[in-house]
Amino acid sequence: MQSCDRNVSRDKEGLIIYQEQFLSWVRNFEPLNPASIPRWPTRGGIYEPLYIYNPIKAEWVPWLATSYQWKNNNKKLLFTIRSGVEWSDGTPFNAYDVAYTFNLTKRYPALDTRNSWEYLKSVVAQSDTVLEVSFKRIYVPGFDAIAGTYIVPKHIWSQIDDPLKYSNPEPVGTGPYTEILRFDSQIWELGKNKNYWQPDKPHVDKLIFPAFSSNEQVTLALLSGELDWSGAFIPAIERIFVDKDPEHHQYWFPNTGYSTFLHTNTKHPILGDVRVRKAISYAINRPQVVKVGMYNYTEPAHVTSLSGPMAKWHSPDIDKKENWTSFNIEKANALLDDAGYAKNKKNQRLDKDGSILELDIIVVSGWSDWIRSAQVISQNLKNVGIKTKVRTYDFGAWIGRMQTGDFDMSIGWAEKGATPYNFFKGMMFSEYVKPLGEIADLNWHRFGLSEADLLIKSLERTSDQNKIQNIIQNLQHLFIEHAPGIPLFAEPAWGECNTKYFTNFPSQNNPYGPLSNNEQPSFIFTLLNVKKR
Amino acid sequence: MSKSILYLVRRLCFYLIAGFAALTLNFVIPRLMPGDPASIIFARFRGKLKPETIDAMRQSFGLTDEPLLMQYWSYIKGILSGNLGTSIAYFPEPVSEIISSGLFWTIFLAGLSLIIAFSLGTLLGIFIAWNRTGKLDTFLPPVLAFLGAFPYFWLAMLILYIFGFSLNWFPLSHAYGNEVTPGLNLPYIFSVLYHASLPALTMVFVSLGGWLLSMRNTMISTLGADYITFANAKGISSRLIMLRYAARNAILPNLTGFGMALGFVLSGALLTEIIFSYPGQGYLLLQAVKAQDFPLMQGIFMTITFAVLAANWLVDIAILVFDPRTRK
Repeated sequence: MQSCDRNVSRDKEGLIIYQEQFLSWVRNFEPLNPASIPRWPTRGGIYEPLYIYNPIKAEWVPWLATSYQWKNNNKKLLFTIRSGVEWSDGTPFNAYDVAYTFNLTKRYPALDTRNSWEYLKSVVAQSDTVLEVSFKRIYVPGFDAIAGTYIVPKHIWSQIDDPLKYSNPEPVGTGPYTEILRFDSQIWELGKNKNYWQPDKPHVDKLIFPAFSSNEQVTLALLSGELDWSGAFIPAIERIFVDKDPEHHQYWFPNTGYSTFLHTNTKHPILGDVRVRKAISYAINRPQVVKVGMYNYTEPAHVTSLSGPMAKWHSPDIDKKENWTSFNIEKANALLDDAGYAKNKKNQRLDKDGSILELDIIVVSGWSDWIRSAQVISQNLKNVGIKTKVRTYDFGAWIGRMQTGDFDMSIGWAEKGATPYNFFKGMMFSEYVKPLGEIADLNWHRFGLSEADLLIKSLERTSDQNKIQNIIQNLQHLFIEHAPGIPLFAEPAWGECNTKYFTNFPSQNNPYGPLSNNEQPSFIFTLLNVKKR
Repeated sequence: MSKSILYLVRRLCFYLIAGFAALTLNFVIPRLMPGDPASIIFARFRGKLKPETIDAMRQSFGLTDEPLLMQYWSYIKGILSGNLGTSIAYFPEPVSEIISSGLFWTIFLAGLSLIIAFSLGTLLGIFIAWNRTGKLDTFLPPVLAFLGAFPYFWLAMLILYIFGFSLNWFPLSHAYGNEVTPGLNLPYIFSVLYHASLPALTMVFVSLGGWLLSMRNTMISTLGADYITFANAKGISSRLIMLRYAARNAILPNLTGFGMALGFVLSGALLTEIIFSYPGQGYLLLQAVKAQDFPLMQGIFMTITFAVLAANWLVDIAILVFDPRTRK
């Protein structure tokens, strides 16, 4: 590839970004409606929440609020709203805007992205700087949803007839970038908010978004210097990208703390046995999966599936627990023998009725990293006598099968969040388990455990850090004991940059935030810190 | 003449019935696909949203559990009033607006290359059939047939790689350059033509042979007819015989083919648009299918259906004009 020799005619004042794959842009800057796909960075860059979670440091950063406090045995949450913030049109921002936003989502449930009004009683501004949130029932994890809601200006939204069909073509926000300088179907530009509340930030005057329709085009543009920052997946990145110009071509794929899973349908007669699930896990050669399937971009999963920034939740006894994500063929064979699946002369395991045991692994077609991983796993399982077939399905068909439980095993993701609460709830909460054939939006592997339910419910009622830590440790122990799913490898976040024209992107040595612009809204740390060279 | 009007009306009725059948199929087929759009969009967030969000999304999309017959009724009502619904992939943009943006580029690119390929192929066909012992006749048809036999995507990618990537003569993607402002100004028009030239070239390349061969073959059999010999005997100029006597007759099958091709222009040159990242109808269709965007799919299929039917009707009229036998 001699693409570096291409003539580059680019605007050197603007940071050129790729995040969304569209061939022509639609002018939509509406942050609230979960059904709408507003232009990046509407959620975080134009509209900001009260707190922003930094997944690299695993901490909440005060944003439009400066502090919070739980009151009345966790039935009230008080926020101190930042003063001195202005909307990009010069109108002052205050707690009344915040209260308005929440009450808007009450009036229009379709805007209530995280169904907050299921546990909220009222949201009231007591003064310009004090916001009082009252709960119908105690639900401490609700903090994530409340702190993460994007705040819209009351003086604009109160003039709109139908907020559900509103595409907000001229955004007015509190974020660092708010001015639409140009909007054509193939390219648009976003200028900085001159009233931004963080002094001297952002450093870059404008952001430029050309339309790219494939990852190949993104790679070419990164190589030729026509693109500065991207969150695309690039195969063999060292050879294809870094080697062409090691000084400027950089990438950082940090561990997000969670893992990619081999989901096992626990309603399947064979996979319902925890011994079989653990045996499968022992039989998988994870370093090989990571090498062949994932270009060595990541590391084998921890047995709790939590690692990297989430490792701080690990129980102190974790090393004494069974580590079934280690590679151990003898153990796998012993467990399978014990479960009653004997081998025939051809080294194939037999089902209890004497037929050859065979399982499918379903993967989304075109997701080549996961398909390769599934093929490696299939080879690994053959070594312990389990015959598997990798089948690929179109995304729609795949998700349909997952939701209705029409699968044996599948490579997929698990729930995430600022604490492992969502993850464990998605893995083991009985109320999420639906009968086979019925659509389950979560817990596709259909595993419920009453002990876990109790722990999860008590987790929802406490804001005491020690108690939270304690409950999460107990949940880990349950997870290790029952293996409701098989963690494969840590999930990386893709991020690449070309530092020829701009510098100070986050990196391994300067990890102030994620480099991946897919991390919403924490990409804002990068937006605020990148500088022109 | 009244008979020909009756003929046109009869054809029109036929097309209306065909159109209605197509509309119904158009309604049924997307609903047979697995999965539902709200779940798919939810799943795209890969565990970062809570499941309760799905209900909020279903409300926004207006996805209902109404009986199919009711949905069908509101679908037909919507189409008759020109309301194609709201897109799901591009929510809350109306489908009609999205289609019109793609339609322009598709009509421009695919229409232009069809007209070029058709006129050039037909003219060349007439010419080489008239001089059918000439060098051009021995050389052109096999070469073009050879080119036309290549898998299109392969040829297009090869051309893109050589002229776009290696030689850097042509842009790799898009309908115009990022440095120009859309509007009626010379740099913009120039940029649009420049960006369209490579994809248009590939389309002309592969379809030219078909037009040329079919024209040449019918032309040759027409040239053997008695009335041509008679016209020759009368001493009519050979140019007149070639164009007014032979070609006018021989063009009829090509004209029907042109009508069909014209209709299919709107389905977008799917592969061309994907390979050259051209923002037309075909690319939109791909996106719509990926996102399970029923309203957008239906809208696109509907424009394609009606374009094919309308083009066929226009061909019926054209044949009435060219072929007096149909006017009896």
